[in-house]
Amino acid sequence: MSKAHDMGGRLDPRRIDITSSNANFKADWEKEVFAITLALGFSSLWNLDRSRYARESLEPQDYLQFGYFEKWLGGLINLLGENGIIKDGTESEDNFKKSSFRVLEAKNVKKLLHMGGPTKRDSTTEKNFNLGETVSVRANNSNTKVEKGHTRLPDYVKGRTGKVIAYHGSHVFPDANAHFLGESPEALYSVEFKSQDLWDKCEHVEDAVVVDLWESYLEKFN
Amino acid sequence: MKKDNLKQFYKEFPSNPDVRVKALKAILEKEGLIDQKALDEILDTYQNKVGPLNGAKIVAKAWANKKFKEDLINNTDQVLKDMDLNGRQGEHVVVVENTETVHNLIVCTLCSCYPWPLLGLPPSWYKSDAYRSRAVREPRAVLSDFNVKLPISKKVKVWDSTSEIRYLVLPQQPPSSKGLSENELVSWITRDSMIGTGFPKPPKGK
Repeated sequence: MSKAHDMGGRLDPRRIDITSSNANFKADWEKEVFAITLALGFSSLWNLDRSRYARESLEPQDYLQFGYFEKWLGGLINLLGENGIIKDGTESEDNFKKSSFRVLEAKNVKKLLHMGGPTKRDSTTEKNFNLGETVSVRANNSNTKVEKGHTRLPDYVKGRTGKVIAYHGSHVFPDANAHFLGESPEALYSVEFKSQDLWDKCEHVEDAVVVDLWESYLEKFN
Repeated sequence: MKKDNLKQFYKEFPSNPDVRVKALKAILEKEGLIDQKALDEILDTYQNKVGPLNGAKIVAKAWANKKFKEDLINNTDQVLKDMDLNGRQGEHVVVVENTETVHNLIVCTLCSCYPWPLLGLPPSWYKSDAYRSRAVREPRAVLSDFNVKLPISKKVKVWDSTSEIRYLVLPQQPPSSKGLSENELVSWITRDSMIGTGFPKPPKGK
């Protein structure tokens, strides 16, 4: 996985194109990609973290050039490929386990979309940080279990110091779940950083950025 | 350390996305892995049923009813569940309130996480590289692209949606809307005001 997707704080001279405001879909093929991706998300063959990882793992030049739903499409094809459903641009002749593929039926759509996929787990895992406590973010934001693996620790906060402003209980840990290493829930916190501690030039000394961070992303502040 | 060898199967498909998705869909149909009616139902949900009106109703209720506002902020998931407004990409929601001293702005720098059940699908700009890159570094410059100017006395707080928590901004109620009914207030609340890139405003024609 490259870091092409980790965009926070990247210098970008472009204005925000607010005229692009209301188009959820710019073409019919985007609707197809959206609907198929959601439907196959219920197949039970992968999870949300895996599908994010699949998008992030597209060739970096493609990640940067593709439109939003083009990324979804590339990621989806890769997921189908690794599950042996497609091969060489067509259906695979391997006998994949069709029995384990759950086809989404129309009658279940409403119920399943409504249910969603909560990531909070009842298990109370280790919680080493308290509200108001100053914490440091790990200096290295690579996945610690898988080489070049998925993580939700953005580059721009690594090694930085902030303050815990919320605790959200234990949540599925993406760095493990994206690689089918189990849900491994960890305590999840919101950590507030002063903008002036993140950027050389900050717009206003009072401004702040809040990032949701898991237990193992954080360290005691010394 | 483990390796993960996810391969680039997409390169074996036609590069034009329109042709690419048709090729993929043909395979999935042949293998019986998709049901067109289910796809139609998904699109109907996000094109016609779920949108910023859901969020606007919550904000209007919060403006009109102080007790509700407290519940909404302190017990968000239960309140949304009671109103049938929970669901995919809104399983865990935090409501952040704009005040005289704080203006909140929502972004997802790593992808494009967005509270679907409350606001529908994200607008194109929310998914753009420019917004994802700039919102955390120079939120005031980003806001000026939306013609939003903030007094220097206000702190800007940017929320980067890195986990499955989804954020909704509770905008300040414009003084000129005080005294209106909850129903009337709904039409003042814009989608952008609930992301933090805009303010509530009087409905057109009023």
